[in-house]
Amino acid sequence: MQDANQGSVDPEFQQGIEDRESSPHEIPSLPVGQWLRQNLFSSWVNSVLTLFGGFLAFFALRGVLNFVFSENRQWDAVRTNLRALMTLSYPESQYIRVWVSLGFVAGLAGLSAGLWANWGGVSVKRVSTWLMGTGGLLAVCVIVREPSVILGSDGKVVRTLEGSLQRESFLDAMVNRSSWWIAAVVLLVAGIVLWRRFASATHRGSELPVTSVVFLGLGLAVLSLWIAPYGHYAFISETKSYVAESGRTVAFSTKLPWTVMLALLCSFFGLGRLLQRSEYGGLIKGASNLLWLVSPLTLFWVVLRDPALDYGHVISTDLPMGLAFGALGGAVLWSLTRTGVGEAGRLVATMLLGFAIFNWVAAFFGWYPMLQKARISFLLLAFAALLAPNFMGEIAKRRQLVLGWLGVTALVHYLATMINTPSTVEVQSSEFLGGLGLTLFVALIVVLLSFPLGVLLALGRTSKFPIFRMLSTSYIEVIRGVPLISVLIFFSVMVPLFLPDGMELAELAAVLTGYTLFSAAYLAENVRGGLQSITKGQYEAADAIGLTAAQRTSFIVLPQALTVSIPQLVGQVISTFKETSLLAIIGLFDFLRVANSVIPAQSEFLGVKREGILLVAIIYFFFNFTISKYSQRLERRVGLGER
Amino acid sequence: MASSAPPSIHHERPPFYRDVTVVKWAVQVLALMLTIGALWFLAKQAGDNLRASNVPTDYNFLSVNPGIDLSSGIDTDPDTGGRALWVGMVNTLRMAIAGIFVATIVGVLVGLARLSNNWLLRKLGTVFVETLRNVPLLVQILFYGAIFASLDRVSMDVGPINGWFHLSNKGLSMPRVHIADGFYQWMIVIGIGLFAANFLRKRRIAEQDLSGEETYPILSAFGLIVVIGILGWFVHPIFGFVGNIFSSLSSAVSAIPEGAVQVLIAFLSVGLSVYWIRGFLKSRRTPAGLAKLTDDDYFRMIFAATGGVLGAVFFLVLWPGLSSWIINSGSDLFEVLSNKFGNGRSGRPIDVALPEVVQIGKFPNYGPSGLNFSIGFAAVFFGVVFYTSAFIAEIVRGGILAVPKGQTEAAAALGLRRSIALRRVIIPQAARVMLPPLGNQYLNLTKNTSLAIAVGYSDIVQVGQTVYNQTGKTLPVVSIWMFFYLSCSLSISVVVNFFNVRMRIVER
Amino acid sequence: MSTDDATTAANDRLADREDMIVCVDVDKFYGDFQALKGVTATIKEGEVAVICGPSGSGKSTWIRCINRLEVHQGGDIVVDGIELTNDLRNIEKIRSEVGMVFQQFNLFPHLTVLDNITLAPIWVRKKPRAEAEAMARALLERVGIPEQAEKFPGQLSGGQQQRVAIARSLAMEPRVMLFDEPTSALDPEMIKEVLDVMKELAMSGITMMVVTHEMGFAREVADRIMFMEGGEIVEVGTPEHFFTNPTEDRTKLFLSQIL
Repeated sequence: MQDANQGSVDPEFQQGIEDRESSPHEIPSLPVGQWLRQNLFSSWVNSVLTLFGGFLAFFALRGVLNFVFSENRQWDAVRTNLRALMTLSYPESQYIRVWVSLGFVAGLAGLSAGLWANWGGVSVKRVSTWLMGTGGLLAVCVIVREPSVILGSDGKVVRTLEGSLQRESFLDAMVNRSSWWIAAVVLLVAGIVLWRRFASATHRGSELPVTSVVFLGLGLAVLSLWIAPYGHYAFISETKSYVAESGRTVAFSTKLPWTVMLALLCSFFGLGRLLQRSEYGGLIKGASNLLWLVSPLTLFWVVLRDPALDYGHVISTDLPMGLAFGALGGAVLWSLTRTGVGEAGRLVATMLLGFAIFNWVAAFFGWYPMLQKARISFLLLAFAALLAPNFMGEIAKRRQLVLGWLGVTALVHYLATMINTPSTVEVQSSEFLGGLGLTLFVALIVVLLSFPLGVLLALGRTSKFPIFRMLSTSYIEVIRGVPLISVLIFFSVMVPLFLPDGMELAELAAVLTGYTLFSAAYLAENVRGGLQSITKGQYEAADAIGLTAAQRTSFIVLPQALTVSIPQLVGQVISTFKETSLLAIIGLFDFLRVANSVIPAQSEFLGVKREGILLVAIIYFFFNFTISKYSQRLERRVGLGER
Repeated sequence: MASSAPPSIHHERPPFYRDVTVVKWAVQVLALMLTIGALWFLAKQAGDNLRASNVPTDYNFLSVNPGIDLSSGIDTDPDTGGRALWVGMVNTLRMAIAGIFVATIVGVLVGLARLSNNWLLRKLGTVFVETLRNVPLLVQILFYGAIFASLDRVSMDVGPINGWFHLSNKGLSMPRVHIADGFYQWMIVIGIGLFAANFLRKRRIAEQDLSGEETYPILSAFGLIVVIGILGWFVHPIFGFVGNIFSSLSSAVSAIPEGAVQVLIAFLSVGLSVYWIRGFLKSRRTPAGLAKLTDDDYFRMIFAATGGVLGAVFFLVLWPGLSSWIINSGSDLFEVLSNKFGNGRSGRPIDVALPEVVQIGKFPNYGPSGLNFSIGFAAVFFGVVFYTSAFIAEIVRGGILAVPKGQTEAAAALGLRRSIALRRVIIPQAARVMLPPLGNQYLNLTKNTSLAIAVGYSDIVQVGQTVYNQTGKTLPVVSIWMFFYLSCSLSISVVVNFFNVRMRIVER
Repeated sequence: MSTDDATTAANDRLADREDMIVCVDVDKFYGDFQALKGVTATIKEGEVAVICGPSGSGKSTWIRCINRLEVHQGGDIVVDGIELTNDLRNIEKIRSEVGMVFQQFNLFPHLTVLDNITLAPIWVRKKPRAEAEAMARALLERVGIPEQAEKFPGQLSGGQQQRVAIARSLAMEPRVMLFDEPTSALDPEMIKEVLDVMKELAMSGITMMVVTHEMGFAREVADRIMFMEGGEIVEVGTPEHFFTNPTEDRTKLFLSQIL
């Protein structure tokens, strides 16, 4: 093995790899025989390695296939519990909310994809090799998998007298898998045809747009819902159970929404392409970015709540209060942005901030009552007032600030009012939000909330103020030194103890807090890497042209630091998403817990664990792999890799 | 210049709220006080709430029988809470060390496979890395656990395979190599052997440098250790006297008066701040004498002085128990050591026991003589090893690719053989790039062993959870976790830093 | 002092001008190392002062103290009547009156040339964007690269980048410009384009302090040349005096090495 290792880091080859990675399109295509000789059998060491790898691959593949298609697998456990895996016990009658939210995301995704239309292409050669590879792999899988067990007329396995299983003969197996054969051959032929037509030397550069390849794939997937007999699993509300009928296509309530999703995605993509060229392109881009930012919270809120408004209260309290804050706050901001306000403006802003913070302290101790909305509004107003000097002078800019304030007030008051009214969505149990929905909810919220906190911590750690540095560093290092599970347990068990009398925090909220604080420490380290890459000259130049520390940070330092740390930040998002699986340990019903504990406890699927966990693994893999591939693509396009 | 006399400048001190230094330090002190205040407030709340619910936060449970059984470890039926947590720590460390060892080997192999010029190996490596690092570790652990749980049941009539290994739904049983009487005395011999071997290695290197002939320094040092180890097998009983030394040390420590230790700690606290201030003043001194100290400097010194005095007061007045605790634990430590080296331990240092299947209760299970890996251990072990090795593979690959092409070309131009170029040029540079992220991965692996809680392997978190479920002492248990994991992190980063400093390329 | 004549000559031309920068006994330490040892000098309004000297002589440190990129520990610095103290307001004022051009350009690589120039006018001077952009384009015209406004700094040559940096400083309408070795990081063929811009600036009557090794520039443009070594001003004089008849041995040695 020693010899083999040394052979594998052959310096000359290293260069070859670098070349290949930097410019994947430039490798000349070789005839098959030559390719094999060069890549698999170049020396006797290499041939031995190929043989060894081949055996390894063979047994691994065979093991996986035999596991997945074994007669012992009860995939019905997963199929009938798909809905539980996705949303746990979300009420059937309210499901339309989920679909509407998903539809919104699909539309928004399509719109954004259309607006940022420059997605680049994927070379025909890659598509064809991919098709051939998939076809070949499929064919190999069909051959490698052991012959199926013979089932008797009652659907049970047939055993010989000694008790061993009876399997069909190899030839029978190959014949019975004819549909797979056909699929493999179709893929192979398609690949070869593409290769022959386009991948010759003259067409080497030709590319297919990435978006059309993706849409084609999605379209085929949705089409298969209407054609392929995946099995019909209908939920019978009376008995609260599923009726399974194999051999049919999936239920109408599944295939219709997905078709609509695809339609939305495609049509909004087209719309985005149209708008991109219009004069409002930039504006719409900004709007869609803003929508991406606010949609997670809003959508989850749509899914989880259906407030029944008390109109009396709305008219007597909510509306006047919103108007008052909008008008008075707007007036304050308008006057603060007059030219020549000077020091007085800062003083007013600071006093406002003090008052707003005092309100929260008072809330904590319960000194005097105040609507939460008012507290939030005062805090926001204080922040706006602190920002006011930046909008000073010109009428247009002052108007911008005031209009922004009105918009924020309207949004916040609307959301706060809605959140504070009781919901009509029937909550069946405490674990009503669960499954993949919970996982995504937690991941999104944690990523969104930990971002600003992480940036602040990173700034603190690189600050030239020793006490800030000390505080941030010790926070970051302590958090990074302990495992997430201990932090989560600490928060889910201990947070109730830390709160004063009369204040309560739901377990989910406590866990979210803990997870956010944890994630922020890691994020801070990633951002710090970016901050350290910024040269001293940038700081000096910013100082020399007279920017304040806050302006320097937000216009010069952070934009550059965050761009540099995009790869690490994406990595952080992926690991945050992966670690949401730990919710299963502390008693929340995420989809891993559903697969690991809920399904195996059902009477008809007692102890059936592996199928569910495998599905969970595949879903996690799909998300993470897609994100990381996308980020690599982004990196290459931004040119980060070249530094 | 003499002709243009410097104009007189009218000095005025700016008002304090516009003074850079004052504002800077005021903000910082305010932030510090807010943080301390918030922490104090939370601690007080927690204390009040705990008192109200009648759960005092003390560490008494450490010496009380918790009445719990552990699934695996050096002691599955611990008689005190402290012992239970200790077993958990040992289990965590076992898992971490074994995991780090195996994950490094697997990771390096896969990383090299990804760089191989063999297409098949490269693809296999890619599939391995991409699959394992994109699936959450917990999902993997649960999956492996579920697979192991579906293995054949253990039964009395199925004996160990070949008398050495046995695999079933209870886990894996292997021969156990364990410490016996005399091990610690033997370790002293080994220690002397290490010392001698290092000496020999240096001598050999010096010889090689002088004569130019290959003297195999590492190999001969290794041989020396083996020889001394075998020799020690027979002579180790003569080191029994070490036990007496430790027991007299123990009584000496317990004879120290508490007041002395207390004063010493307070003195240390003040002394540290004085030392810092002196060093600071020294660093501000210029050849021309004491330089003008800025306001900033005064603030720093005031800060250090206040900290020192506050620390001294804290140790003297608020925490008098610390000194007795230090004395007790010091004397206990020596007591334990003296027992380990007790006289008359003349047995073999190391023993081997084969696995066995016994039936104590209703179901047959593995007996205590073999080295048993429970399903939980196996699941967590495979989980952390595969998961971490995927990351290590990427680090190895990245590290080797990070060595500039020019280096290999330069080595080739000098006529170095490929193996020498690798050993002397490529790998040292790659290792420098690889080491910090590798240390990070080791740290992650150690922390990730805490997921053992999901499959019921008795690591520190799982044991801790059981203990606080029994006793309600959540806060103390959490503090022990934190302390334990922070010590692990610190040790790993100390080791990594040590190598990092040694490998650093000197730059100006 | 024998430099009196030359100094007087320079002072004659600028005699009726206001003092723009006054430094008295400025000290600066880096730990044990004293970078500035009692530097005393007065720069008049509209004067072009060139500071030269061997590397490590404290030239850059001195001009960096003037807009407080470094904090001086002893002595006083007064710029346009504002004393440089711990007072936040004074620091703000001086920073917006003093422009600085760096050796490494220090343009903001994530902003376009236009945004680089308009950033400070918009956010510090609170100018409307349209006005700031118009001024920025005019300045780009003045430094000779009006067509590069929409590009990013990374797409420009070194000389063009340095000219953008000059335009960025000018956009704040400073009364004083500090140049910290503006041509040292440039390829030889680009030095001239930057020096031309600086000459044009010098003619326009703005106060300039220039740390440079470009003796041709100094001879042509400077009102006074200051020679520094070991943290002290060794010799001050008009270009004629300095190049033809230096009095101090250290100056002679330096000139013999550099010319």
